[in-house]
Amino acid sequence: MAPDATIRRENAALQMRLEEAEETLRAIRGGDVDALVIEGTSGPQVYTLQGHDAEANRFRGEMLAQVSDAVLAIDGDQSIVYLNAAAERLYGFTLAQALGRRMSDIFETRWEMPADEQAAIGGLESDGEWRGEAVHVLHDGRMLHVDIGVTRLRKANGAPNGVLAVIRDVTERKQHELAVLVSEIRYRRLFETAHDGILILDPATRKIVDANPFMTQMLGYSRAELVGRELFEIGLLQDEAASQEMVRRLNLTRQVRYDNLPLESQSGRHQDVEVVANLYDENGHPVIQCNIRDITERRRNEDHVKLLMAEVNHRAKNLLAVVQAVADQTAKYGDPATFGARLSDRIAGIAAGQDLLVRNLWQGVEVTDLVRVQLAHFHELIGTRVHIDGPAARLSAAAAQGIGMAIHELATNAAKYGALSNRDGQVHIAWSLSTSTPPQFAMSWRETGGPPVVLPIRKGFGQIVVGRMVEAAIEGKVITEFATSGFHWSLTAPAAATLASAEPGT
Amino acid sequence: MSPDLVPPFQLRLYIAGHTERSRAAVANLQRICQTHLAGQYSIEVIDLIETPQRAASDQILAIPTLVRRLPKPIRKIIGDLSNEGRVLVGLNLMPEAAYSS
Repeated sequence: MAPDATIRRENAALQMRLEEAEETLRAIRGGDVDALVIEGTSGPQVYTLQGHDAEANRFRGEMLAQVSDAVLAIDGDQSIVYLNAAAERLYGFTLAQALGRRMSDIFETRWEMPADEQAAIGGLESDGEWRGEAVHVLHDGRMLHVDIGVTRLRKANGAPNGVLAVIRDVTERKQHELAVLVSEIRYRRLFETAHDGILILDPATRKIVDANPFMTQMLGYSRAELVGRELFEIGLLQDEAASQEMVRRLNLTRQVRYDNLPLESQSGRHQDVEVVANLYDENGHPVIQCNIRDITERRRNEDHVKLLMAEVNHRAKNLLAVVQAVADQTAKYGDPATFGARLSDRIAGIAAGQDLLVRNLWQGVEVTDLVRVQLAHFHELIGTRVHIDGPAARLSAAAAQGIGMAIHELATNAAKYGALSNRDGQVHIAWSLSTSTPPQFAMSWRETGGPPVVLPIRKGFGQIVVGRMVEAAIEGKVITEFATSGFHWSLTAPAAATLASAEPGT
Repeated sequence: MSPDLVPPFQLRLYIAGHTERSRAAVANLQRICQTHLAGQYSIEVIDLIETPQRAASDQILAIPTLVRRLPKPIRKIIGDLSNEGRVLVGLNLMPEAAYSS
């Protein structure tokens, strides 16, 4: 035979083989066959697509239509006899590489639960099939979470003959599930440990479906006692109508806020609470989340701040009135040429007393501190020419202002005309508390060794400050003596009107 | 059988026991042969469930498969042979163009 004739013949034979292969494939795809001959290790074996239509459809469906799933078949000797394209991609083995090898050569199977392996074996034995999840560990260390459906293959006589596995890579879904789980744990922890009460309600029934531990602490009810009740039943809203109104408003605005609701715990403890209710969609179901915050402490602080603001305002007005009176009187009684200096000096005295009160948070002032502050110009004389003597006694703010101004005025006069105007004069400042009923506060300013005392020709504002003003401030009585031996000033007043009580702001 | 009596159409039908398509293939083949090849054919039915090793000689993969061993060249038709036109084309009893039209 001529060589080209041989080639033509071989070509024709190959062409026919190809057509045969295509025809076979077409017939399998078209469902025209009901058994396949597979070359196994012990020769050709016939696999019937049992159960006729249903089984054939399943086979075609799994193997051909759902080609995104990996399909893998092993024979009775555990050798791989089939691997589809998706399985080749998934495991990184070609059909040629995998045929005849064992599954453990391709991947290692790890079960998520130890019982799963037994369930798989048991399911295959009893039902001829099993479906479940496992992890396939590949040679490069990658771990695939897989959903597996395994069906036992049977020979025509019914004897088991290998298994067919349809494997779906669900790694991504598993990772998503894990992320959801992590998120669930995180937000569950937030819910469990929040220092706000949290209630979850069903909008349809308005009943509580969940409560966090802080809520149970706030109310003194257990979670089981809270679940199934409405807000008005736990004292949070006034009545059923109020509950209905809240849900109605939530449906309109998605959020309802109550700035201040009274709430009583089971034990009767009163709390002021702020409630923020939100309407959410949770997997297509509406839920109401109520965050309940105990604002009792905050309210108390707000009230305190309001009180302090009012007090500061009151005191500022008082102080301005004092300064205004001092300015008027200084202008009225003094020499116009020295008005500025005298006013400035008196205001400095008021300011020194004010500073002392502020430093003591308006909780009163120790007499000795007040005296030293007002004698600041003469502090080097204290202990030598100025003697201060008296028990610990705390003056009220009003008393400190009046007495402070008086001391300031007495010191100014002593420096100008009295015991501190020469080199030898002395000043004795003393105070005491009597044990009589009611107790009396007494204070004196006695000058000795100064120049001869001259009775003032006219009464200046200084005398008003050391006299009427201080008397008015503390319901006291002042006596001034211009004795030739030295000027003497004394004050007596009820201790109740002079000394600071325990409460601030006196 | 003497050489004179060898029928021109030697056919082999591979089946797998008594599956639905195998039984249909046997019945369809007999009907077609009696209609179109009366007296000119022989049919050998091979059940691969009983003798799977016999699949090798004709390289059978899918069942049922009809093999025309004679006349040459060998031709194969897969399925239950319910489409008579396809079978006649496959057996060269009808031109392909006629079947296609």
